[in-house]
Amino acid sequence: MRYRTNETLRLTALAAALVSVYGPAVAEDAQGSVSVGGGAWTNDRHQPGMYDGMRDKGFYPNLDADIQKRDDDSGLSWGLKIRNLGLQTREIKGEVERQGDIGASIEYNRIPKDNPFTIDTRLFRDGTRELVITPSIAPGTGEDLELKTVRDRYTAKAFKTLGAGFTANFAFSTENKDGNRQWGRGGAPEFAIEPINSTTRQWEAILNYAGERLQGSAGYLGTSYQNSNGLVTTNLTTPSAAQSFNLTLPLDNKSHQFFVDGGYNFTPTTRGTFKASYARATQNEFLPTARPGLTFPSGNAPSPLSPTHLNGKVDTTLVEAGLNSRPITDLTVNANVRYRNLDDKTPIKGYVYSGSTPTVFNTPWSYKTWTGKADATYRLKDGFSLLGGAEYSSQDRWVPDKGVKYVPFRSDLDEWTVRAGARKSMSETVNGSLTYLHSKRDGGHYKTPNDPTEPAENLINPLNISDRKRNKLRGTVDWSPTDKLSFQFIAEGAKDKYSGLPYGLEKGTGHVFTLDGSYQLNQDWSFNAWVSFDQTKADEHTQNGAGFKDNNLKETGTSFGAGLRGAVDKLKLGADLERFRSVNKYDQDLTGTALSSALVPVQDITNKFLRLKAFAQYPIQKNADLRFNFIYDKWRTDDWSWMYFPAGGTQSFTYGTGTDGTTVFADQKQHSVFGGVRYIYRFE
Amino acid sequence: MSFHLQAGRNAAILLVAAGILWSGGAGLPGAQQAQAQVPGPEVCAGCHETQVKSFLGTKHGNKVDARTPMNQGGCNTCHKGDLAKHVSEGGGKGVGGMISLASKTISQQDKNQLCLGCHQKDPTRLNWLSSAHANQDTGCTSCHQIHTAHDKVRDKLTQPNVCFTCHKEQRVQINKPSRHPILEGKVSCSDCHNVHGNNPKQMVKTTVNEVCYTCHMEKRGPFVHNHQPVTEDCGICHQAHGTTIANLLKSRPPFLCQDCHATSGHPSQNAGLPNQRTTSTSNLGTIARGCLNCHINIHGSNSTENKATAGRFRR
Repeated sequence: MRYRTNETLRLTALAAALVSVYGPAVAEDAQGSVSVGGGAWTNDRHQPGMYDGMRDKGFYPNLDADIQKRDDDSGLSWGLKIRNLGLQTREIKGEVERQGDIGASIEYNRIPKDNPFTIDTRLFRDGTRELVITPSIAPGTGEDLELKTVRDRYTAKAFKTLGAGFTANFAFSTENKDGNRQWGRGGAPEFAIEPINSTTRQWEAILNYAGERLQGSAGYLGTSYQNSNGLVTTNLTTPSAAQSFNLTLPLDNKSHQFFVDGGYNFTPTTRGTFKASYARATQNEFLPTARPGLTFPSGNAPSPLSPTHLNGKVDTTLVEAGLNSRPITDLTVNANVRYRNLDDKTPIKGYVYSGSTPTVFNTPWSYKTWTGKADATYRLKDGFSLLGGAEYSSQDRWVPDKGVKYVPFRSDLDEWTVRAGARKSMSETVNGSLTYLHSKRDGGHYKTPNDPTEPAENLINPLNISDRKRNKLRGTVDWSPTDKLSFQFIAEGAKDKYSGLPYGLEKGTGHVFTLDGSYQLNQDWSFNAWVSFDQTKADEHTQNGAGFKDNNLKETGTSFGAGLRGAVDKLKLGADLERFRSVNKYDQDLTGTALSSALVPVQDITNKFLRLKAFAQYPIQKNADLRFNFIYDKWRTDDWSWMYFPAGGTQSFTYGTGTDGTTVFADQKQHSVFGGVRYIYRFE
Repeated sequence: MSFHLQAGRNAAILLVAAGILWSGGAGLPGAQQAQAQVPGPEVCAGCHETQVKSFLGTKHGNKVDARTPMNQGGCNTCHKGDLAKHVSEGGGKGVGGMISLASKTISQQDKNQLCLGCHQKDPTRLNWLSSAHANQDTGCTSCHQIHTAHDKVRDKLTQPNVCFTCHKEQRVQINKPSRHPILEGKVSCSDCHNVHGNNPKQMVKTTVNEVCYTCHMEKRGPFVHNHQPVTEDCGICHQAHGTTIANLLKSRPPFLCQDCHATSGHPSQNAGLPNQRTTSTSNLGTIARGCLNCHINIHGSNSTENKATAGRFRR
């Protein structure tokens, strides 16, 4: 806490210095504002504060600025944007440009993420990659560990107009990720953390052309990922071969892409478009488990015949062409064809051996997809329109023919989709639409694992390739009975039916109903409110030992919000209330196979979140205001993910019995109040 | 299906597309060419002071950039009509045939043409006409505020509320406990979606995975052991807008995993909550990280450890 406060104070001082430097420059003709202030939360907010850099209770200073200046004679303009300088979520952007000629910007952006749990553990890091776990600690006797990750991204962009319709754009970004994520030991269901220290870079150069008829862009995009760690070794306190687990991490990889994208106006009402791109992604780092000197459980040391490099290479080709036309005033048509080939050219080699016989191979996957679609809109009288369209997709899926498979695969998939609808627009009072979609997906025969010891593996429909019929219906109504009062109603329903092999997802449905309303009482006061109901269901029929089980999963959400804006003389007032509630039900039919005596049935989960925000803003000078902010957060859950269920009552989840002992605490009731004040200075 | 058959089907689709007639003459109804000598914004400011003042502070009001409305006919560039007549007759709604982009009685497509005359040349809007939003008759001014330098939809903190005008389901999803930092303005809708484009699902790149890899590049591999759905579409397991399950999963392990995996032993077991501390994988498939308690590298693994089960993402 002390570190954070010191850091934020330093940054606030830096921003104040920046403003003092830029201040004289912007004193004349500048637009925008600077605000300085602070506020405090009364309690920790592990869940609501996951991303906003204010997880812990306490005081947070802050500074925001948004300043622009433009010289109308030279056309030169510059801007400085600072947001949340006093918080972990700070971002700063400076830009300068002569519009239509040349410009550049540079930006810094930090995204923190605090793990919402408190972890009591004796895990510690030995050196750079060794995680050591003290076994068998009494729950609650370790040290508190609060996991956090931070992304620091720097972005630079520039453009230059070259004349004759050409413009060049350049962009470069680098993002450093730091911190640890919750993980597991892999070899046993025990606690571990995953270091994510890595750097992602992207660089892009694009040449654009904009002519009267032809417009387009061509360019290059390069990316790289560099991970600081390729391997984490976890050990119990006394290292032993049997307990030494070597966990691999993603390895350095990069990609290069060339692309072209454009459009051509054949006539004022007919336009053709095209896209093409070619990309190559590679990964050829030294495979970390091949490193000499590592300790493995007996018999698990990598075979000397196992490759030390993957030589991974994935080529992706995209070609697309489209046509849009309005042949008559009342008709618009669209057609588009697309070809995409993701070709994983990584050589297939054996990585696990039984003696000199390879038994496990690497698993490259390739997909070649053709898509064609056509849509039309026909306008009738009085603002009515009819819509229709069809789409066909055909995919070749390359399935590796070596090694062990655990699920059935299909080498081709086809899907037809048709859409139809009607729309009413251009009315001052009532507008709306009704659209319907139907699609049907099927494919070739299943290539099954055919493991004689696991016959059930041949019997399941993987959800992404099973036969599927989908129906969706969406209706909207916008009603404005008066200029000041309006309502919007939206209803959506979708139903998927899966078929084919006996096991797997059988049916999925989803519904959403929302009603929004807004009322402008007068020039000063306005009010809006909304209510939403959503529900999704999934029916599964899956294997269970020698029998089967049926699961009916359902999530129901009810939410509402309201907002008020107004003014009393010079005092501006506002408030927003939002409440979200979701209930997850896990109805598992256990008539096929009874539940183990070591387990209790899965229970429902209810999540509730309420946030009330209010502000009051009063001018203390012609160009300066004081703003008071109030926030109330309330989070409730009975999520059992990090609990277990002894007869005496629920307890926080603790890993292991004779090993580990790490306990994860999830605070199920959180509420906190924020009060803050800001001084806002406006450049006018 | 053979490649040739697919090619034949798709060639047919292409022929249908190519067979669509195009012709001229479906221009903007009621729109008139800008007059050679039209009153400038300073004249309009006589009655529309607030609008003109804010217009001059926008990029449209830039006096040096030759492409802007300021240098292409002033207010009449977008409010096309007989501005001289509008002025000479003392103004008034619709006098001189002036167009208001807020009008509900002009079709969105016609209003959009006013913007596309210039903005279709922008690389991110080349494919607007074949985008899902254009097909839904979405107007540029349905989302954009023209007369302000602070367009809400171009500020990532306020942008989602503009999108939620139509996308109600996402308004709820981004408030679920497992989510992207959209509420905090660190990720915005347009980071993933090009609402002016025609990529599938309106993504900024040609596939969902390419978009996800922008920030989650560690997931793209290629790995020694690739998990097939990961290489195909992140959306098979994840709902990027928000869910009630950790890591934006659409469904909770083991239910999600059992939609693809059937086998004897613990992978197909009943879901249940342990009544005591345990190390049994049969009892730890539901709580904590569920199946991922052991299958820790579910996106892919680079382990060459010599185990017959090396392809199960445990190392």
